[in-house]
Amino acid sequence: MHDVAMISLESQPAPPPKRPPRRGLGRFTLDIRQTISPWKQAGILGGSLAIGLAISVVILDLAGIAPLDLAKELAGVFNANSLRSVLVRAAPLILVGLGAGLAFRIGFWNLGLEGQMVFGGIFATAVSIYNIGPESTRIVVMGIAASAGGILWVLLAYWMKVRFRVNEIISTLLMNYIASYFLLHLLYGAWQDSKTAFPQSSQYRPFERLSDIGSGVNSALLVALAVAAVAAWAVHLSRAGFYMRFISANANMAKVVGVPVRTISLVVIAASGAAAGLAGFVNVTSQEGRLTQSFFDGYVFSGILIAFLSRNDPIVVVIVGFLLAVLFVTGQTLQVFYQIPFTMVQLVEAIIVIAVASSEFLIRHRVRWTR
Amino acid sequence: MQDFLINWLANVPGTAAPYAFAALGLIISERSGVLNLTAEGLMLVGAVAGVGTCLTIGNHPLVALVVAMLAASIVSLLFASLVVILRVNQVIAGLSVVFFCQGLTGLIGTLANWQNHPIAGLNKIAIWPLSDIPVIGRILFVQDPIVYLAIPIFFAVSIFLRGSMLGLKLRAVGENPAAADAAGLSVSLYRIGAIVVGSSLLGLAGGYISVVSVKLWITGMVGGRGWIAVALVVFARWAPWPALAGALLFGCIEGVVPRIAAAGIRAPQYLVLMTPYLATLAVMIWVGARNRGHQGEPGALGQPHVREERR
Repeated sequence: MHDVAMISLESQPAPPPKRPPRRGLGRFTLDIRQTISPWKQAGILGGSLAIGLAISVVILDLAGIAPLDLAKELAGVFNANSLRSVLVRAAPLILVGLGAGLAFRIGFWNLGLEGQMVFGGIFATAVSIYNIGPESTRIVVMGIAASAGGILWVLLAYWMKVRFRVNEIISTLLMNYIASYFLLHLLYGAWQDSKTAFPQSSQYRPFERLSDIGSGVNSALLVALAVAAVAAWAVHLSRAGFYMRFISANANMAKVVGVPVRTISLVVIAASGAAAGLAGFVNVTSQEGRLTQSFFDGYVFSGILIAFLSRNDPIVVVIVGFLLAVLFVTGQTLQVFYQIPFTMVQLVEAIIVIAVASSEFLIRHRVRWTR
Repeated sequence: MQDFLINWLANVPGTAAPYAFAALGLIISERSGVLNLTAEGLMLVGAVAGVGTCLTIGNHPLVALVVAMLAASIVSLLFASLVVILRVNQVIAGLSVVFFCQGLTGLIGTLANWQNHPIAGLNKIAIWPLSDIPVIGRILFVQDPIVYLAIPIFFAVSIFLRGSMLGLKLRAVGENPAAADAAGLSVSLYRIGAIVVGSSLLGLAGGYISVVSVKLWITGMVGGRGWIAVALVVFARWAPWPALAGALLFGCIEGVVPRIAAAGIRAPQYLVLMTPYLATLAVMIWVGARNRGHQGEPGALGQPHVREERR
């Protein structure tokens, strides 16, 4: 043994550097993908969506809805009657999705969609209560007033951001609570329905409601689609759309090369508030027929979800809005027949967003296991 | 008038405690560079877990609060894996977790039938003979044990962040994760640890609301206090003691709301209920107007760290 060691020392001048000892299970390393094929991307996205939906089904199973019953309820959405309520539901959802998406496009976290819906509803109802404008154009005036209400409420937050650097995430969320208490103040006070003594405004007159346009489709949907078309034009075709992309990529650079950053931001954020205000308007004038306590419940996160899944693209917003409306209507059915609280919809929404957000990581990075 | 003041101020520690715990929990996780918007949701988790424990195993409020802390920590692992491991946008992840928790707690509370079942909860203790001192005796020395516990917790966290090696490393991760990584610290581990530990305090805050203050579970009972706590952290510039002062301020504001009606002052009820939110906005404006918006903010707040993306 001794000899061998001596010989090796003499004959091999420098031993090769030792490999570091293997440690346990190894570790992950991340590579940034430069490119990814659309098929792979779709596969990852679809896979995570499927996982998210599977988790939702498991949770609902634990809550007492067997997957088979769930499938039956989901299929039941596609009969004529439920489809109608899906279309009615889709209108405000598309509008809040557009509102969220427009603001997110320039990096403004408008989380005050519910507050803006509330003020949309309040302004529209004020037009009805104080009989503003002739009967023939009343519904139009209500719509304009509702947009104004939404704009007012979102611009307050924007003003606080620009003037005092108040983070809009916090201010818009807090303003939701303020708006809903203001709504309660009106509904338990001056605007309470004198006939029923319930905390809701009195019923709108027929000409103050969005009417059906044949085969049960409500004109609320037309309002939503029209706004989506305008938004799609603005985002994809107009110069403002190009400016918006510029601002979200690099606001300082945009300012330096002469993009009117302030004006564009102001207009886009106002449009976002107007869309949310209109969502409140179509909700009260097509579904409820009066101002109620909770017509805006659950729309903030729905707006975020729609904007997030559609990547702020107004055309995709319409599609996602419809799909979410299916979820909403199913949620209502489950609430009625299985006593599952409606917050279940929020839970499923959150799981979907989490699943899709996680998939983005795998789309952007390649994970490797090295030992 | 004196009665009104004493009743009001005697309530303040109880209304301030949830804000204090929540803000402290947020400070711990945000000092590691993670923008944490989950407060509202994790407080709900703590609240439902606390009441659920009391209704299941009998009235053991201290056990219930520990369960509340554990439950919030466990759910926070979801947030931690989203933002630390999967590098999801921290705003999106935070909001998703809040709404996830709102849905989950609503579902659990209804299915387990914990809604609107009052519990005995935790009662106030009088520290005799100090409690017999006129005026301040009732304000300072007739409180529940958790309020007193807040003081050592604040000392501990403050010393941890400013005076300990671990706290220094945590802050380094939050200020400059690339440098901390180069120095051999595991950014991911520090951030996950900060989120989980901070979230236990969020759970305590929620459990305090349901087990100690309200002694009841109602869906969505946190009612925006989590968002106020997020604002409070900005106000306190990510430092524990100013956060305690801010919590007391909001405790005063929230504590005065029920007192106004009890004192027979006629005021529009729902407008009065707006005050905490309006006050928060006012405070945020004040912070902005002092023109020091970003002072104290951890340098890497909101930015995920991917070693391979080092710039």
